[in-house]
Amino acid sequence: MKTIVSVKDLVKKYPIGSSGYFTALNGINLEFTESEFAGLVGPSGSGKTTLLNIIGSLDVPSGGEVSVLSHSISTLTQKEAAQLRKEKLGFIFQNYNLLPVYTVFENVEFPLLLLNMSAEERKKRILETLEWVGLSDKINSRPSQLSGGECQRVAIARAMVKRPSLVLADEPTANLDSANSHNVLQTMVKLNRELKTSFIFATHDEKVIGYLHRIIRLEDGKVVSDKTI
Amino acid sequence: MILAKTAIKSLLGNGLKTWLNVFVLSISFVLIIFMQGLLEGWSKQAVTDAVAWEIAGGQYWSSKYDPYDPFSLDSSAAAIPPSLMKEYNAHQIEPVLIASGSIYPDGRMMPVLMKGIRPDQNLLTMPTQSLKGDSTEIPAIIGAHMASQAGLKENDLVTLRWRDANGTFEAVDIRIASVFKTTVPTTDNGMIWLPLENLQNMMSQPGKATMLIKDQQLTTVTVPGWKFKNQTELTKQTIALVRAKSIGMSIFYFIFLFLALIAIFDTQTLSIFRRQREIGTYVALGMTPRQVQNFFTLEGTMNALLAILLGFTYGLPFFIWFAANGITMPIDASSFGLPIADKMYPLFTPKLIIGTIIFIFIVTAIVSYLPARKISKMNPTEAIRGKVL
Repeated sequence: MKTIVSVKDLVKKYPIGSSGYFTALNGINLEFTESEFAGLVGPSGSGKTTLLNIIGSLDVPSGGEVSVLSHSISTLTQKEAAQLRKEKLGFIFQNYNLLPVYTVFENVEFPLLLLNMSAEERKKRILETLEWVGLSDKINSRPSQLSGGECQRVAIARAMVKRPSLVLADEPTANLDSANSHNVLQTMVKLNRELKTSFIFATHDEKVIGYLHRIIRLEDGKVVSDKTI
Repeated sequence: MILAKTAIKSLLGNGLKTWLNVFVLSISFVLIIFMQGLLEGWSKQAVTDAVAWEIAGGQYWSSKYDPYDPFSLDSSAAAIPPSLMKEYNAHQIEPVLIASGSIYPDGRMMPVLMKGIRPDQNLLTMPTQSLKGDSTEIPAIIGAHMASQAGLKENDLVTLRWRDANGTFEAVDIRIASVFKTTVPTTDNGMIWLPLENLQNMMSQPGKATMLIKDQQLTTVTVPGWKFKNQTELTKQTIALVRAKSIGMSIFYFIFLFLALIAIFDTQTLSIFRRQREIGTYVALGMTPRQVQNFFTLEGTMNALLAILLGFTYGLPFFIWFAANGITMPIDASSFGLPIADKMYPLFTPKLIIGTIIFIFIVTAIVSYLPARKISKMNPTEAIRGKVL
């Protein structure tokens, strides 16, 4: 299996006050391969979101080396990092982060607009993706008209519509009830299986953990266990 | 184009707040065009009237003539140059003799400028035909403002006193042959128009003139002892006066524009605070912070686009109606010495409209850009969680 993410001796420190530092990640070493369905698991403050953000090129390491799809995160310019996110990475957030004034169709369309895809190709991709997540009948609805589970499925569709190599999901079920959580997770499992897209989760939700193929436990910014199931 | 469409959608998504901003901005847009149109119309009318009433194709001034020196005025006339005699006879050149004097309406003294002009001239709109006549008194015509100031009316007799070229004081009763209405204060305020020949005789300056008014069709030539003043030079003061008056007018629309821009600035600042998550999401989806900043600037600038469209919707009929029907002045403004007609017609030129559109776009873009600068300094990971501020 091809390695898509490589993390070596990763350190992330945040300044506190005038001279101190808080170490969020301390000497992390990990590798993720194609088609993985892995999760960073741990309590709040363990560093899982920080690690996810660095892999997603939204943040930069203080030390060590992180390579994502052959791009070194430390050396990327803002423009190159944006390009990487635009073309290869998908994000799913705890609060869905849908654009409220757009319809479902337009929310899913947005990443394709950034890729300058033709209108015809965009429409085809959006309808196909919305069918995967079971929202074909909601294309003209706005986020305010959808349930939490539906919003998260729109967010999944938005992350998947450009066929990314890697999807990063930060607490994707935190705002969902049990039934919706399972529904959303089953959708992601299906996409992982059918499209071979890698998923990395940051979660402490047991329901999510039950679906993971690999569980990486973090505590105080360190990997304490890494199990493949 | 895609970002523009997205920006407008996002802007319209803000609902009433957007429309309130757009409405106020559209008022300033319409006001700027209307006020500037009024100014353009006023300026054009003032120049057209000045040309029709006193300038024609330009004026040759006797080299001694200085309109700002009353002491040299009576001695500034010069003989009509022989080189222009043909044009003089053909009424393509109209000599005007200017001299100072005073009238005594109701026994009080009032200084005046006497201007002699041929009664059968046809270069100027001035109703000089009234200066013809065979009555025993010298006929004179005056403007309505002058008539009002002096308390004179048609057929009134008034004593005119002057000093001739030899320094001798003379006086005669003149008859007000007609009172004309003009929007050109310099042909009205303190002026008494007399037949040229009479004034030349009164001043003991036969065959002399202070200025020669030229037909618009006549080619300008160099005449020794005379300096030519073209229309631009002669209307410079009129235009300057109109411009000076316009500064007061512009205060109103600048207040409106300022209010609109404050509202947009405020909305943009609030919007950036409220939409941190959205900003973070744009970055996560693949936009650079700079692109998001530009996107928000564009979104703010779209206020201008909507304001212009809205402004045209209700402003265009308003502009067309006023351009066709004019605005009746509530008072006789010419009595204040301003070259304003009873009815003013605004003039909405493409230059004015396009210039105003560009101006509104630029100021709105600047006001939208200032709060959007904050975006490029945001940490996207905190913005995604709405925790920047």
